[in-house]
Amino acid sequence: MRVWGEEAALLERAGADVGGLAALERDLDRALDLPGRDGAVDAHVHLGRDADGHRLDAARLLADLDRWRIAAAVCFAADDPGPDGQFGPANAAVLEAARRAEGRIVPFCRVDPSRPGAARAMERAGAGGARGLKLHPVAQRFRPEDPAVADVVREAAARGWPVTIHAGYGARPVAGPIGDLLDAASGARLVLAHAGRGDARSVARLVAERPGLMLDTSLAALADLVALPPERLCLGSDRPYGEHGTALRLVALAARVAGWTERAVAGVLGGNARALLGAAPAVAA
Amino acid sequence: MALTAIEAVRLTASLAECEMALVRRDPVAPALLAQAARHADGLSPGPLTAAAARLARAVDPADRTPEASAARKVVQALVRAAAMEAEAALLAGPGPERAR
Repeated sequence: MRVWGEEAALLERAGADVGGLAALERDLDRALDLPGRDGAVDAHVHLGRDADGHRLDAARLLADLDRWRIAAAVCFAADDPGPDGQFGPANAAVLEAARRAEGRIVPFCRVDPSRPGAARAMERAGAGGARGLKLHPVAQRFRPEDPAVADVVREAAARGWPVTIHAGYGARPVAGPIGDLLDAASGARLVLAHAGRGDARSVARLVAERPGLMLDTSLAALADLVALPPERLCLGSDRPYGEHGTALRLVALAARVAGWTERAVAGVLGGNARALLGAAPAVAA
Repeated sequence: MALTAIEAVRLTASLAECEMALVRRDPVAPALLAQAARHADGLSPGPLTAAAARLARAVDPADRTPEASAARKVVQALVRAAAMEAEAALLAGPGPERAR
């Protein structure tokens, strides 16, 4: 059993009042009132073990999805680049988890464009069933506007893959470099993680200028989300760094504050992600 | 209970300080959370903030055992949840001022 995303047994040993914490989490769940929640797709989950100690395995993720009535999750590797720096074993583990999960795990591959072998890693992952690409400029220390990044994003576009890119929480601006990347990789379908937190006003302008640009809500700021069009947003939790209760609550509060329609909420919860992963258009507000 | 603008601004600022202190494993985090819990007492984010403050007191921010890490993550989640409620109150338009 997990409470607020963490193992209850660990919390008990830390001296936590697990019963009280579980009651608070139930209160949050009861207050969600989210239409379309049963078709929800979490567009941002890491599987495996991160260098910083965070970890999540497929069995625990699937239990979390059941707990929060989420149908499926887009999953990619944690920050575990492995000996070749191209996430080979970590990507393989995500693909294996997806094969066992009967459609509930949508596997993306993670690569480091700044090191040799990224294209080969994408090829291997594609052969194994990967359906998208994940890039993390901060963890792998590259810049989105670097030509090597445009190369892998173009390769993803050629495969029909969306690309989730970490965007926010860093010192550097988000909107300018992402705009440069989109100019260099036409046809790319980018998802800015964390709704580009930390560069909100420029990101909102970029979203208005770039019709295909999507954002996920993982660990995003409420004030940023309510200023963005809901048809461009996908629910994200960033498990195991974030957790599903507050991820869903963030969407519920944004819907209430911004006055999203039920149809728009259903799009944010899952319809927009399904459109991104398939062929259907994003759900209009 | 609906938050007034004053209450919401005070709590939002206080919880933002807590979030940063928790991320940095700053030993000042439990004290900041105790302040936030006082700001939130009797308001809708009060139970979340109080639970975060209690749990933060029980754990050394520098302790990197799995137990302490799990507890610290839950404190962060509780603070995140409380901050969202305070921000939503501000963005939606706060309730009438009660204490002038």
